[in-house]
Amino acid sequence: MPKDKLKIGIYELTGCAGDALLIVDCEEELVNIFTAASIEAFLMAKSDNRHGELDVALVEGSVSTEKEKEELLDIRKRARVVVAIGGCACVGGPQAAFLDKKEWEKNLKKVYGNIEFSHSRPLQSKPIDAYIKVDCYLPGCPIGKAQFLSTFARMVNGNPPELFRFPVCVECKWHENDCLLNKDILCLGPLTLAGCGSVCPNFNVPCFGCWGPTEEANRTSEYYLLREKGFDTEVIKNRMANYSGTRITEFFEQFRKEKR
Amino acid sequence: MRILKLQKKDLFPLLKVISREAELWAPTAKGDKFAYGRVLDFSRIAMDAVRTIIPPKKIMVPSLFNMFNFTEKGYQEDLSHVTDRILFGIHPCDIHGLLILDKLFSQAYLDPYYLEPRKKTLILGLSCLPDAYCFCKSTHTDIIEEGYDLFFTDLESYFLVWIGSSRGDDLIRLAPDFFDDKLTEKDIQTYTKWQEKRDNAFKTTVNFTRMPDLMELNYKAPFWEEVGAACLACGSCSMVCPTCNCYNVVDKLFLGNKPGKRLRHWDSCTLPEYSEVAGGENFREHKSQRLKLWYTHKLQAYVSKYGKPSCVGCGRCLVTCPVQIHVKSVADALEGHPVEAFWKKFAQEVSK
Ligand code: SF4
Ligand code: SF4
Ligand code: SF4
Ligand code: SF4
Repeated sequence: MPKDKLKIGIYELTGCAGDALLIVDCEEELVNIFTAASIEAFLMAKSDNRHGELDVALVEGSVSTEKEKEELLDIRKRARVVVAIGGCACVGGPQAAFLDKKEWEKNLKKVYGNIEFSHSRPLQSKPIDAYIKVDCYLPGCPIGKAQFLSTFARMVNGNPPELFRFPVCVECKWHENDCLLNKDILCLGPLTLAGCGSVCPNFNVPCFGCWGPTEEANRTSEYYLLREKGFDTEVIKNRMANYSGTRITEFFEQFRKEKR
Repeated sequence: MRILKLQKKDLFPLLKVISREAELWAPTAKGDKFAYGRVLDFSRIAMDAVRTIIPPKKIMVPSLFNMFNFTEKGYQEDLSHVTDRILFGIHPCDIHGLLILDKLFSQAYLDPYYLEPRKKTLILGLSCLPDAYCFCKSTHTDIIEEGYDLFFTDLESYFLVWIGSSRGDDLIRLAPDFFDDKLTEKDIQTYTKWQEKRDNAFKTTVNFTRMPDLMELNYKAPFWEEVGAACLACGSCSMVCPTCNCYNVVDKLFLGNKPGKRLRHWDSCTLPEYSEVAGGENFREHKSQRLKLWYTHKLQAYVSKYGKPSCVGCGRCLVTCPVQIHVKSVADALEGHPVEAFWKKFAQEVSK
């Protein structure tokens, strides 16, 4: 255990605040969290927030305004290690899925009309690694308590986080579930990061992908497999897009090119 | 070796007597599939289970378990998964699977986390009839000569019970009255007929003697790219295989001065991080390379070391891989036979 407590800041950009809320909701561990580290900033939990040097910054949410971008760049400057927490920070969240620049501008006009933005200029939503180097990604929508706490405990003990990088199917097999995909049910387990303990398939509910995509997610193969099982292209696309953020846009661009 | 006769109605009473000192584990229904579980109510035993989703390796080395608790001062081993067990209803392929794991977990050093529960588990085998996916006759694992304490062959109204070890003999001695050691001419005939019926029931075959050479000759064959492109890297094939034994070890820490746990969990060479080393280099970045490793191990490397494949023909990869990459379809591809599998269709579809 390092002698000086780690200085940790927890920040929220654009998102549902679910990840910050989950940390607050770690009731029985909350005292341990606040004694194991010096929590310098955590808007949801305290009012005396300091903005100095940090050992670790945990950042939730995607970047969707100029102001948030400035804030993020400033956090990066102050923090030795930046951890993206939750689907929005990791891959952009639903607000970042499926929109190209033109489409986004059109939507913005449709919603807000022709107005001057006085507070902060809006930006097309992006995961935080679109602007800064991210050292670690803690996935989930929202992040899971067990995974957050063990990651936090490793960090305050000076160890880098160690997260599963394989898909939900592995944990699903550890639980000896009968595969839903093989029963022609649309399960996104093969494309989705493990760490949730395969809670959904454990209860016979297919994986919706809420832990976000694995690095190697083979969407092309699963897409054709689902097509062969009789699923509609739109249904597959929408399901895959839910928690994939900007990754899905990249995938379908690639996919369109291949199909040309 | 002794062979005895046991009437069907005496099976549960026998199990009751012999499981007094140990946990009884057997296949039980899980949806329309089967899974090994601890059995207290014997009527839950699925006597007709062909294969369980996960093989009995899970009883010896659980998919995820704690090896030891540690603090700054030292560590304390956790062998809580080690207990006296009786494993009933295990078929020949899975007994061979355990015999292969015995070798692998006692090579360079003895792995207590596997070997301790293994030693404490009595193996009570049960005969079976193959379904469309079993091919243990091709791997010569359809019968057993070793690796069991008792083996029950189901002949409709009674069992023939083979005694395979002194521990098996001790079990019989707990309830000698249930057994009849006088086999009639008719019993022998019934058994021979049953053997014939079983021998002729296999629908899937794989020519394993050709596999080592074909693996070598096909090392650069284009179909490896095809399986690689379709593979979801989901690891399922390894999880369900009774001879896959790879694992990873991770330290889990807790807040508030609680001891840490060193966890061990099943791993698979089909996963991208498996061959990654410090610095981020990956020896097998592409799925085609990883699958080639998996099949080299099953069909070639193990043969050159131990004289037989490390596949026991249980058919689990056949029923599990969502894109149908399995020993049968890969063997067909190696032999240049037409392949009916999703991965082949996928290759044709994307090349359009
Ligand atoms: S049920 Fe879903 S998560 Fe589980 S093995 Fe099948 S595809 Fe993977
Ligand atoms: S949707 Fe998928 S990733 Fe999310 S909790 Fe369920 S199984 Fe896990
Ligand atoms: S390779 Fe397939 S058939 Fe052979 S033992 Fe493993 S799971 Fe069973
Ligand atoms: S071969 Fe099949 S079961 Fe194995 S990792 Fe690939 S897709 Fe999964």
